[in-house]
Amino acid sequence: MVASETRRFSKVLIANRGEIAVRIIRGLRELGIRAATIFSDADRRSLPVLLSDEAYPIGPAPSLESYLRAEAIVELALEIGADAIHPGYGFLAERAEFARQVEKAGLELIGPPSTAIAAMGSKLESRRLMIEAGVPVVPGGEGALADLDEATALAESIGYPLMLKASAGGGGKGMRLLREPGELAAAFRATRSEAAASFGDDSVYIEKYIERPRHVEIQVLADQHGTVVSLGERECSLQRRHQKVVEEAPSSVVSPELRARMGEAAVRAAQAVGYTNAGTVEFLLDPSGEFYFLEMNTRLQVEHPVTEMVTGIDLVRWQIAVAQGEPLAPELRSIEPRGHAFEVRLYAEDPFRGFVPSPGKIERLRLPEGPGVRNDCGVYEGDEVSIHYDPMLGKLIVWGRDRREALLRLRRALEEIRIEGIRTTVPLYRALVDDPDFVAGSLDIEMLDRKLGSGELEPAHVSQLADLPLIAAALEHGLRQARASATPAPAGGRRGHWREAGRHEALRGRR
Amino acid sequence: MKLIVRRAGERPGDGTWVELRRAGDEFEVRIGERVYHLDRVETNGSIRSFLIDGDQHELSIRPEGEHSYVVSGSGGMEVVEVLDPLTHLAEQSRADAGSAAAHRVTAYMPGRVVAVLVQEGDQVIAGQGVVVLEAMKMENEIQAESSGIVERILVEAGQPVEGGDALFEIG
Repeated sequence: MVASETRRFSKVLIANRGEIAVRIIRGLRELGIRAATIFSDADRRSLPVLLSDEAYPIGPAPSLESYLRAEAIVELALEIGADAIHPGYGFLAERAEFARQVEKAGLELIGPPSTAIAAMGSKLESRRLMIEAGVPVVPGGEGALADLDEATALAESIGYPLMLKASAGGGGKGMRLLREPGELAAAFRATRSEAAASFGDDSVYIEKYIERPRHVEIQVLADQHGTVVSLGERECSLQRRHQKVVEEAPSSVVSPELRARMGEAAVRAAQAVGYTNAGTVEFLLDPSGEFYFLEMNTRLQVEHPVTEMVTGIDLVRWQIAVAQGEPLAPELRSIEPRGHAFEVRLYAEDPFRGFVPSPGKIERLRLPEGPGVRNDCGVYEGDEVSIHYDPMLGKLIVWGRDRREALLRLRRALEEIRIEGIRTTVPLYRALVDDPDFVAGSLDIEMLDRKLGSGELEPAHVSQLADLPLIAAALEHGLRQARASATPAPAGGRRGHWREAGRHEALRGRR
Repeated sequence: MKLIVRRAGERPGDGTWVELRRAGDEFEVRIGERVYHLDRVETNGSIRSFLIDGDQHELSIRPEGEHSYVVSGSGGMEVVEVLDPLTHLAEQSRADAGSAAAHRVTAYMPGRVVAVLVQEGDQVIAGQGVVVLEAMKMENEIQAESSGIVERILVEAGQPVEGGDALFEIG
């Protein structure tokens, strides 16, 4: 690899929206770099636009006609004289073709090289590279099985329990769990014929079944001079339908020794694809402490703040520094987590009605403040949550000296926060901070779906006093009627308590 | 002043009596068997603070139409309907007469109708999907809340809808 010279960016174009655009604007501003953003027709009034130095329209509301217009975005960057493009996460962030276009235009992508994105973007290719690099992967799963004999032999070498999967399946379909050898023959025949009927492809493969795994990922940072460091793990086991909702660092089950081993594996994974910039290597961790490579996210992660809170490292700042050709500071080689951090993702969704989206106007927004609390939020009070994009409004992050303190702080912050006018996932998190398994830190990737399905997690009451919402509404109605009748004082109108009360309240309200 | 309150989801005719009375600077409120004395102030916009025996409760209350209020607190939000006794009585007698009007289902969010799964005149059961709505890149099945006959379908596939727009009626 040819080490590029260090240069200074004077302007960066952010090819994203929402909270991550805000996060990147903050990082650029602190380095004295001009922040340019793009916006769709739906986002002209959005927070990133209000905070940016320059903002340019990129098309109509649908993502395909705006934030995903790779060519137009690269052209815009050239036109406005930007030195680099920050893709954030989602949208174009993991599209190798976009990275190639940026490289071809002579611009810097604040992210990895297109070749690394392409290598990690292919499931088969990345698996092969990881095996070569000595990164543990889930045993099995390397291609279609010819017949039952081959399946039996492979099953014996991997060991039970196993998952038998249809190659064309996905999303939980075409899968069978096998606990012992006796189940293989019948399951093999059934999965094959089902796969043929459902997917028109009868190829099946087997993979080791990992019981109650955790999702633990390692943050890596790599410069253009060959240095790759691990910044420790994030525990992301709390997911709903494979989407993360709560993250923490460090993981309560990762010892310093395991952290070192996972860190080394992650660094090897990054090196295997010639990685630069910030990236995340995701692993499944089983209860015995064995871990297996899942995939590498070749971008900044939504949950990067928990790592920032426990390491004191500004990841966006380092992303920019690395893209400018700067070497990683020597102290980054020996980072140990300090304290504990949680992040909860604030989605405009109703968690107790199957997470249906809840777009609309944010009538009220009060974000929690005080010691150890950080808000990475992409919206403001009065803002409209659009139907066109991901429903994440922002993230609430807390830090404490240990997990217990961080948890108490999270509970406190969730009592303070108010997001009104739309439904959000806040009531779910309020229930979660009192859940014994969450408090104990005993998590697995199916826990949240399980607890929501069984009704174990239920919405808290609107008020601690169950009668109060009813009383409050009745008083509101009574006073409203009284005010209405008090305003145009009718000749000889009735004078009653309520009319007086209405006036009294109107005055108090104005005070 | 006597009013009837009910939580969203309770049926017409149901409800709880609330009696409100000014008592000096406070309100005296009777609800069911219980009596509360409370101090209520309005701070900013919809924000209300209540003091009941020294316990402070913060709620936000927004009117939605003539009789409904969206009440939000630290635990989430709910919709409360407030009726005067006459309206309530009228509702009750209608409910008693068994002439329950067709149940109208509305879109709970703006989006686009992707598909209509039934036809007018079809028999549906509670929980059966009737219309598929797409919003925020996700498809959501709008289901019949009660069993009955689909009396009217008010939308067609491809049509954009606003939150609150009527989708179909089940009788």
